[in-house]
Amino acid sequence: MEIISKDKFQPAEKTTNAESIVRPSLNYWQDAWRRLRSNKLAMVGLVVLILLTLLAIVAPFVSKFDYETQYLKDIDLKPSMTHFFGTDDFGRDLWTRVWWGTRISLFIGLVAASIDLVVGVLYGGISAYFGGRVDNVMQRIIEVIYSIPLLLLAIILIVFLGPGIKSIIIAYALTGWVGMARLVRGQVLLVKEQEFVLAARTLGAKPARIILQHLIPNVIGLIIVQITFIVPTAIFFEAFLSFIGVGIKPPMASLGNLINDGAHYMRYQPHRLIFPTIVFSLILLSFNVLGDGLRDALDPKMRK
Amino acid sequence: MSKPILEVNNLRVSFKMYAGEVQAVRGVSFTLNKGEVLAIVGESGCGKSVTAQTIMRLIPTPPSYIKPGSSILFDGKHEITKLTESQMEHVRGEEMGMIFQDPMTSLNPTMTVGAQISEGIRKHQKVTKAEAMQRAADLLTLVGMSNAQERTRQYPHELSGGMRQRVMIALSLACNPKLLIADEPTTALDVTIQAQIIDLLREIQKKTDTSIILITHDLGVVAEMAHRVIVMYAGKVVERGTLNDIFYNPKHPYTWGLLRSVPRLDSDRNNDLESIPGTPPDLFAPPVGCAFAARCPYAMKICKEVDPEHFDVSAEHSSACWLMHPEAPKVEMPVQAGRGSHG
Amino acid sequence: MLKYVLRRFVYMLITLWVIITATFFLMKLLPGNPFGEVAAKLPPENLKILREQYGLDKPEWQQYLKYIGHVAQGDLGVSYQFPTRSVVDVIKQSFPASLELGIESLIFAVIVGLLLGIFAALKHNKAGDYSAMFIALIGISVPSFVVAPLLSYLLGNKWHILPAGLWQGPEHRILPALALSFGTIAILARMMRASMLEVSSLDYIKTAKSKGLTTWKIVTSHMLRNAILPVITILGPIAVNVITGTLVVESVFSVPGLGYQFVTSITTLDYTMITGLTIFYAAILIIVMFLTDIAYGFVDPRIRMSGRR
Repeated sequence: MEIISKDKFQPAEKTTNAESIVRPSLNYWQDAWRRLRSNKLAMVGLVVLILLTLLAIVAPFVSKFDYETQYLKDIDLKPSMTHFFGTDDFGRDLWTRVWWGTRISLFIGLVAASIDLVVGVLYGGISAYFGGRVDNVMQRIIEVIYSIPLLLLAIILIVFLGPGIKSIIIAYALTGWVGMARLVRGQVLLVKEQEFVLAARTLGAKPARIILQHLIPNVIGLIIVQITFIVPTAIFFEAFLSFIGVGIKPPMASLGNLINDGAHYMRYQPHRLIFPTIVFSLILLSFNVLGDGLRDALDPKMRK
Repeated sequence: MSKPILEVNNLRVSFKMYAGEVQAVRGVSFTLNKGEVLAIVGESGCGKSVTAQTIMRLIPTPPSYIKPGSSILFDGKHEITKLTESQMEHVRGEEMGMIFQDPMTSLNPTMTVGAQISEGIRKHQKVTKAEAMQRAADLLTLVGMSNAQERTRQYPHELSGGMRQRVMIALSLACNPKLLIADEPTTALDVTIQAQIIDLLREIQKKTDTSIILITHDLGVVAEMAHRVIVMYAGKVVERGTLNDIFYNPKHPYTWGLLRSVPRLDSDRNNDLESIPGTPPDLFAPPVGCAFAARCPYAMKICKEVDPEHFDVSAEHSSACWLMHPEAPKVEMPVQAGRGSHG
Repeated sequence: MLKYVLRRFVYMLITLWVIITATFFLMKLLPGNPFGEVAAKLPPENLKILREQYGLDKPEWQQYLKYIGHVAQGDLGVSYQFPTRSVVDVIKQSFPASLELGIESLIFAVIVGLLLGIFAALKHNKAGDYSAMFIALIGISVPSFVVAPLLSYLLGNKWHILPAGLWQGPEHRILPALALSFGTIAILARMMRASMLEVSSLDYIKTAKSKGLTTWKIVTSHMLRNAILPVITILGPIAVNVITGTLVVESVFSVPGLGYQFVTSITTLDYTMITGLTIFYAAILIIVMFLTDIAYGFVDPRIRMSGRR
């Protein structure tokens, strides 16, 4: 053994803290953001969504054409420098119509998500927070609504209300919130039983304070993930209804009725199907990959 | 008692994670003889479970990696670190058995107890389904369960925690393995059940002369069963010795701390139970020098600069601590330690 | 178990009742003339006779009770547009084709979807996983009303590999069934993958591995059963998916099924037909969900024994 100088065996002064933490410390949102950023697919989804949204907002304004004016001498044109996506059988510019339709679709998706958010969070939160008999009754109601097939109810509703954006949103709102309410309730129940909430309650914190300080931060990640799945569901919902003829009617453009039109003409003018389909699928695809990424990023169980 | 069944040499295991590499096991060496019970003790996160599961290669790669230079020699012929996955299948279950910590989650909820025991038998031995089932029932009798035939047709959720752990033991014994690894076999159980399970393990060990590696943080369990003990801290062995060495002549300050934190009936009631202040270091970035130095009341300058080698006390007993160096000040273990009734 | 079944059954009846009631009152709230444009031109006396014929002159609660009574006996009314056709006749005539299409696509989807999910889970984080999940993502993002016309156009009209429409020999079944199963495959594959990954991290898989079982054996006898359990719970939503899919697929491929009738009745605003078919569809879906719940109880011994979730 090599010789070690004697003074090395002097007691060491306490320099380092025994409990010092060497690992970089990240809070919940920083950590989630790091995970999301490292998920390339989800980031591509996010970027594509931002681009599509910008196009949907800007393109109809900048375009030389509007979505409904018919130019009967320009019918059935192939894509060109004047008409990027070509024209339809009424001579309407498809570039403008597709982005107009995207705008409608995104609008429906966002409104539906907001309604779901408010109703679902309130319903689920109240049900879980009060528990007991209140919860019991509210849950029975949910169970019944949950088993009513959304699409069928929506179809009869729209048949009776008359087609249009408003009807679609109302129909969706009537039943769509149930999933969110269930999710929020489950999560709140889980959090409610955890020690730190019990502790806060024992310390005499008021309900409002407990909800704001403890419950919401713990539930919000889950809600965000759920929203990224609600928006594409609502968009799909509109397109489906428009496709079977009870959604948004021409001359108003929506991705659903553009695809429906395109399907009829695809043999001779494939561009009429291709462009709205690509945009529509991109929206759904992006929301789905972003949602998957967010779920992985925000799931604390996955945190290492 | 003399021939080694397992020789672990310089075992290093790391987990690759987003921020880098967590060095869970950092150069562990030990030998287990035939018919011997070796206890591995230490706080949670010290690498004892990783060591145990690596011996059976149960931790998936990625994220875990056995680093080059590591060696696990089993039964004098199998170099575990180099076996292929299909060769490993013949070692697992047939030559080594494992008992896991939590009997609530370690059994498949949708399969009867008998089916779970007999499938291992049928994998390794040429027997019919009925013979395997009969053997499963015999094993359940061996681990002290009555109505064994009926039990084989039950599902895990119909059994209590202690019963399930007995099933787990029966399952690990199914093919008369040469080595049994018990990873915290009593931690998840009630105190009264713990004693029963330890008695059972001890009895089975005597009957079958199986070698056992017992992973635990419960020194009471160690005292009941083990022949030899290794103490792990931050992925390294800090002290090794026979049961008597560790309980009556411990040399490492960490071992002292462990012994002093065990509640004892014969100690003075006014004495507070002592704990080791601080928490183990993060193995994401192991400290320079001795990993325990930051929590050690006797830490010297050298402790924070150079990691100590093992100093031999006797042929069987060694401690990785600079206090063992001839130049170091003489420090005795503080009183009120593990002396007395244990053993 | 019996208690569990009974409870589910009662829920099923309540839900059906809610739907029937909702459709009835929606029909009553309807503005304008239930007999459509043609009837508006009829003289008032004739309209009165017509109203009596359909029982519309009685108080609403009487009409409601009568309606419930009829529905309970399996009488869903007569088409307003074609008074000679009853809703039940239409169902009898066109449902078999839809059922066949639905079952064929479901079988195909279950086989492909589960295999894809299992494959992805076993190749977790490897190229196989990524490609399988990318296929599934596309399956979710590209809806049936895009897939169906595309398949019909490409395979049917352009390359002439398979007939693009009609409902005759077995070769006519392939494209519609394929188009219909697309989304279901994707949902099942994603669900199965997630479920397999969840199960693979559980302790008892480590136990199985410690017995020396091969990966194949661990997957087949330990993981699959436990991983399929949660997948069974989404069979209800999947049934919804398939049924709503038939609305689109049948129109595109000219399959003489119920979905086609439903879409037609919507475009012609044949109210009794719409409500009747809605109730029929709702009943099927609710029964499927009920059966799903029961099936779930049977495969999971914990529920089978204790009779509750």
